[in-house]
Amino acid sequence: MFMLYFSELQKKRVQTEDGIFLGYLEDLVFQASQTPRITKIVIRTKEEKLIISVSEIKKINSIVTIAKNFNTAELVVNELFIFKNVLDKQIIDLKGNKVVRVNDVVINDKPFLSISGVDIGAIGLIRRLGFEGFFYRLTNLLSIKYNLQFLSWGDIQPLELSKGKVVLNQIQEKLKNLHPADLADYLEKTNIRNISKFIDLLDKDLASKVLSELNPNFQLSLFRRLGEEKTDKLIANMDIDEATDIISQLSPKKRLQILNKVDPAKKKQIEKLLKLSSTSIGKYLSTEFITVKSENTASFVIDQIRKETSDIEVLDYVYVVNYQNQLVGVFNLHELLLQAPDTLVYKFMAQNFFVAHLQSPIMTIIRKLIKYHLYALPVVDSEKKIIGIVKIDDISEYLLDSNKI
Amino acid sequence: MNLKSLFKTYKAKLLIFLAVFGPVTITAMADNDAAGVATYSLVGAKYGYSILFVLLLVTILLAITQEMGVRIALVSGKGLGDIIRERYGVKISVFVFLGLMIANLGTIIANFAAIKVTALMFNIPTLPFIICVVIISFIFIWKGNYRTNQNIFLVSALFYICYIISAFKANPDWGKAITSVVLPTDIKITRGFIFAAIAVLGTTITPWGQFFVHSFVLDKKLSVDKLKYEQTETFFGAFLTDFFSFFMIVATAATLFVYKIPLTSGEQAAIAIEPFAGKLASILFGLGIMNAGFMGIVIVSLSTSYAFSEFFGYEGSLDAPFEKGRSFYILFLIQLIIAALIVLIPGISLFKIVFYTQSLNGALLPVVFFFLLKASNSPELMGQYVNKKWYNYFVTIASIIIIIASLTTIIGFFI
Repeated sequence: MFMLYFSELQKKRVQTEDGIFLGYLEDLVFQASQTPRITKIVIRTKEEKLIISVSEIKKINSIVTIAKNFNTAELVVNELFIFKNVLDKQIIDLKGNKVVRVNDVVINDKPFLSISGVDIGAIGLIRRLGFEGFFYRLTNLLSIKYNLQFLSWGDIQPLELSKGKVVLNQIQEKLKNLHPADLADYLEKTNIRNISKFIDLLDKDLASKVLSELNPNFQLSLFRRLGEEKTDKLIANMDIDEATDIISQLSPKKRLQILNKVDPAKKKQIEKLLKLSSTSIGKYLSTEFITVKSENTASFVIDQIRKETSDIEVLDYVYVVNYQNQLVGVFNLHELLLQAPDTLVYKFMAQNFFVAHLQSPIMTIIRKLIKYHLYALPVVDSEKKIIGIVKIDDISEYLLDSNKI
Repeated sequence: MNLKSLFKTYKAKLLIFLAVFGPVTITAMADNDAAGVATYSLVGAKYGYSILFVLLLVTILLAITQEMGVRIALVSGKGLGDIIRERYGVKISVFVFLGLMIANLGTIIANFAAIKVTALMFNIPTLPFIICVVIISFIFIWKGNYRTNQNIFLVSALFYICYIISAFKANPDWGKAITSVVLPTDIKITRGFIFAAIAVLGTTITPWGQFFVHSFVLDKKLSVDKLKYEQTETFFGAFLTDFFSFFMIVATAATLFVYKIPLTSGEQAAIAIEPFAGKLASILFGLGIMNAGFMGIVIVSLSTSYAFSEFFGYEGSLDAPFEKGRSFYILFLIQLIIAALIVLIPGISLFKIVFYTQSLNGALLPVVFFFLLKASNSPELMGQYVNKKWYNYFVTIASIIIIIASLTTIIGFFI
């Protein structure tokens, strides 16, 4: 996986596999959409400009190597150029205020070659001037810390790009009208810093609702960012089930601190639910799951399933872990079967998924399973390592046992 | 059409013109900053009425070049900095901006120096005075919006009337002065005269002036349909500027040139004309320099701030609150402080600073005109408003004259 800057790619030599020099990379073509996939490259040869699909690229290192018998491509609707349409352009917000210029464009190659955002910092300028190496040596020498200033693609309106404008989504105003669940969904796609900034802007009621819809990984890191006082207020403002779910993951001391701020009737109910949760899901935890590595191919995974899961009753999901054994993705068997044999796992796995914790109250787990139409939820420990799964058929026993139905 | 309705249409047009009026005239008048006044005084003292002919040429060149800037600004909605950054990338932008910033700093220093000299003449303590100038300038720019500042500049431009009175007090030969403008009179082509002519050109047509007229017109947020009015103002502004330059030259030509008094530095002109034109003329001339210095400081410094916002995409407008246009306002203040500090260093060679500033301006001007010509001929940017064919010849010839003149200045410094 690499992340690189457009300025590092531009002017790179382009040659074919058999070593024939074609010209220099001049521009990249991308789809002006929410997922700005890079589709084509523009090569400046001595005589003309060649536009070639990225699928012809074999390797990108100090030079760009493309297939021997490459075909040229044509632009299609909604495609724009990075150099011509984005780089150096003025970024404005929805009200038309100037914000900054696009100093560089950040490109990543996973799961496919695409734009992840734009560099708006001074370092972007320094890089373009060719002083980046010098600058890093200097800052190291003086042990100065600098911040990369980066704007995620999610903050930019793709529609306006084709009109020659780089316009920000002024999320504060635009997103307030969304339903909390959708809003949480949107926020989970951005980073934690954006979320905390955004939660700060919302009014108390909406913030609580959005917060309770976020997945627990986000909730916890968010609390750390928002600080104690704000967190307490937000939780006190939530409805009982959601509050219980969140509180159950906190230390006893913290629980008490928050509960003291909740009004007495509500506090009683939460405490009751918490008691229930102390014996909660351990009973329903299943170890009938399989984990695979993200850089394996689909065919490898199918083989692995064949070998390792003969004793598993029903397999719904395949969980993806990294080298630290942390859960990083999930996919179902149907998705797996759809892939070509040599497709790598990270290209098709879902990176946004829901998890449960050992302390999670059963009711909130059930609610999640039903709400998001899942057959099972992975249960992770505090280091995001998977310890087991809770399957909907197992947990439905709980409902029968406790006569809730 | 009866007289009344005719009057009505003209009244409406006049009102629009007055609403549009301001930015270009201010830019043009600021070209007569303290450094400009010093140059006019020097050439007037040395070459008398004969140098007046150059003014006619300079007026035409100033009008043409400012018109190009105004047209590009109104049609494209972009400043010169925006255009350079978007079309030529980071390297050229940083290079041009640094050049402009350093040259502008030199110009600001020259203006502070003129203020300092005049303050001494009026027995005003220099240190507190210069600090006051910095603080007051910053407060106006920081607190005032576009309209307030524009009006302050226009009032300041009115002060140039001082020179008219000074010139009248000097009892010049008006007939000769006026004919010298239209017909070349008594011109002796020497190396000195050519350099004097180029100096007049160089003090009127400057890189910062070209940047500023763009930005200042943009900041007024006029629509393209006001282009005609703005073009009219361009010609009016160019005329007005050199109308006042005429009196500055006449004031020294009628005194110092006639009595063959050599003038070593332009800032001394106010004192030097006193024996011939009287106390009032001398005081008014001094006040004029101070006012010109003030205008130069604020406007040249603003032009760097505007250019910075354009090149690097930050909010830069007199109408923007401080929180939004932080870099714009801070850069403005920093320039004033640095220039003031340099001027206050005892024994610093201002002559050298002015010399290097002029060289740098001379080197930048061809670059600026290259971008101006490119932009005003770009159909992508200008649509139907690209330079007309005959006009393009005119503009190109004007630009070439200016480029040759500025290159001659640089070369001239070294031979």
